[in-house]
Amino acid sequence: MSSMSESVWFPLCSLLYIAVMLHWVRVSVRMNVGDGGFFSAAHSLAPWLSALVIAGASLAAWLVLGAGSAISDGGFSMPVYLVGGVLVALPGIVFFKRVWFAAERLRVSSQAELFRAYFQSPFLVAVVALVAVLFAIGFSGLQIRAFASIASVLSGGALSPLVASTVFGFILFAGVGIGGMRALGYLGFIQAALVFCAIVALAGFALSWSGGFAALNANLYQLAMSPDNARFFSVDGIIRFTGGLGRGGDAAMSHTAIANLSLAFALMGFQASPVVLKVVLSTRSPNGFAAGQTWVTAGFFGALIIFAIAIAGLAGLLDPALRLVPLLEAMQVSSPWFAAWIFIGIGAGVQLLAGLSLFVAGETLVRHLYKPYFNAALGRRATITLTRVVIAVLTVVALVMQNLTPVTVSALAGLALPAAFQLWVPMLGVTWLGWITRPAAVIGVGFGLAGVVLTEPLGYQLLSFLGLELPWGRWPWTIHSAVWGMAANVTAVLIISAITNRNALCEEAREVRKLYATALASGGEARRFRAFAWSAVLAWFFLAVGPGLIFGNTAFTGGDSTAPVWLLGMPSLWAWALAAWILGVGLAWFLSYKMEMASPVTVEIPPYEPKPRLRPDQSRAERERLGILIITGAVSFALVVLIAFSFGG
Amino acid sequence: MSGHAKVERNLLVFAAWATSGFSALAFFLEGLARDSYLLSLAGVALVVVTFAIHIVINAVNDCGFSAGEATLGIGAFGVLALVFIAAWLDGGLTAVDYWSGLTLFGVLVCGFLLYLSTRHGLRGAFSRFHFKPAESGGEPQ
Repeated sequence: MSSMSESVWFPLCSLLYIAVMLHWVRVSVRMNVGDGGFFSAAHSLAPWLSALVIAGASLAAWLVLGAGSAISDGGFSMPVYLVGGVLVALPGIVFFKRVWFAAERLRVSSQAELFRAYFQSPFLVAVVALVAVLFAIGFSGLQIRAFASIASVLSGGALSPLVASTVFGFILFAGVGIGGMRALGYLGFIQAALVFCAIVALAGFALSWSGGFAALNANLYQLAMSPDNARFFSVDGIIRFTGGLGRGGDAAMSHTAIANLSLAFALMGFQASPVVLKVVLSTRSPNGFAAGQTWVTAGFFGALIIFAIAIAGLAGLLDPALRLVPLLEAMQVSSPWFAAWIFIGIGAGVQLLAGLSLFVAGETLVRHLYKPYFNAALGRRATITLTRVVIAVLTVVALVMQNLTPVTVSALAGLALPAAFQLWVPMLGVTWLGWITRPAAVIGVGFGLAGVVLTEPLGYQLLSFLGLELPWGRWPWTIHSAVWGMAANVTAVLIISAITNRNALCEEAREVRKLYATALASGGEARRFRAFAWSAVLAWFFLAVGPGLIFGNTAFTGGDSTAPVWLLGMPSLWAWALAAWILGVGLAWFLSYKMEMASPVTVEIPPYEPKPRLRPDQSRAERERLGILIITGAVSFALVVLIAFSFGG
Repeated sequence: MSGHAKVERNLLVFAAWATSGFSALAFFLEGLARDSYLLSLAGVALVVVTFAIHIVINAVNDCGFSAGEATLGIGAFGVLALVFIAAWLDGGLTAVDYWSGLTLFGVLVCGFLLYLSTRHGLRGAFSRFHFKPAESGGEPQ
């Protein structure tokens, strides 16, 4: 193949992709003029469209870039990745339907608004903004950085990572800033389809160049025969009471069953995050959630993970030349059209999540924090303009940090999923557990975030800067920060809910509870199966991602230890994960349809009409709030400087 | 069709061609590059699959190909045919290239005629091209 052919496909496909993107941005802008759908696509996204966008946004690019690489590094020691499709789908089954109905009743279109209406809490709104910013700058930033590196390699060094990420930033802003939520929805559909195809194509090449499925497993068997490589094919015990990474804990020895379980909870934070809920609340009907979560996310996307991403990762484990970047580099020579297509697919996946994150962060900061608390007089057009400005600023900050402070971006990225997981508690308060009181939800989330920060690098580096050395490192006892945070969160919520008035609900919260008790009341069959459902969920978690994983080490292995036989022709843990995925899809179906947690319901929801209230002039209160914010910021800064000067460095 | 239905139909068409359509192109080119008729055939099969998806989307939305789509399709066919003929005249085609091209064009032409005859009937399909002078306002001959 000529070098001309090699070089032309990469820019050609990129330009074609940008043209398609701009076309849909234009369509979105024209439609936004009619119904003002910049912030929520006028709640008009079709259920099937949302289902695919949610599945595509649900860590697809992260799984290609991150989980594939983790499998190439650690083999099957973290089988939690392999059932990622089921894990990311489960929170949606629990929350989406009820959240959609609550939002429809209160006529709100984002998680921040829902928390403000239900809990009347500015703190929770600020936490939602924080989580969105973490996703925008940290989580997506890390992926953009990885993607920019791939672009640099595929361009033969003609594009530096800095230039590639800058160009990507412009593309990102064009999609999000101009078209708003509608463009994200429309474009997200095409992006999700592209990233799924890219995953299949990548696995196809990895499998083909590994000699086929049988050869791949034969080579894995050869690898497993060496005692040094046993760690690639087993989960390393249930728990290790280490001080955490950086405090005596060894990364290679930290792949325990509890590490898998706690990472599973972190992954489950994603669909409780404001990023995904924005898509959910922009959907015109809740009738696609069950099918979307069961068949698209758990089923189809789950199959892609357990087969395609696993194969791509394992090919890299066997031969470093078949890892993602070297593989794409080789494809660029032999099949440049496929290399360009896979590259565009991965880029589309990164853009889908990064665009959504940036949009939600910008909207939450402007529409849910600045406008209601500091400038209520801000008009609709000015709100949109300011949101665009904030999105542009966040994009620039993300680009600068990716290129100048990658370690900080990595530390922030590590916080995104566990911080989002802390939102499970207020989400449960809104949807299922009406006894969670406002103070309990607020303090619980505060404790949860503290727990997360104190068991992540960012926390102990910040405290170290202030002169306080924590005795533990990252993920002590091989438990992910998501679970440390949740332990603190749940403890605080249980205690505070017990000692506060559980009937002191605001009027909006009462309306939501009334709606659940009437329109969404469980049917007789769902009530009858309740105990079975709990048992099934607990059993699945125990066996698929919990301590039961150690049974998977040898469950599908026969023969003696000197000459083991893989009964299914594949590593035991892979077969175990395959069984867990199939059972997980069954569990998702059971919860969605039989337990009616996400099943279709067709009822008319009239909007909630709040009692007429006097709206006094807010400008004085807003000025006072701004003053308090500035003074608090200045005092905090002075205290931090003083402490760092006195004790830290 | 309402505005939303039209946009959603167009989205599905875009997604079908961006995924299945591009994979068809990639497989076809892979076949030409590796001199493998089987790979080219897979590309042609994917073209057929993509057209089938497009037709199903049209049927669900109770519409046909838009004027823009028809123009783009016929235009692309013409350009590809020209490139193929030029390459054939140049003598640079291998046997696999030659048969791959013939298969692609044969399948496209047959598929086009099949589509017209199933959608409009044999007589109706002919009438899509045959304009009687009376219909176009001219004098009958």
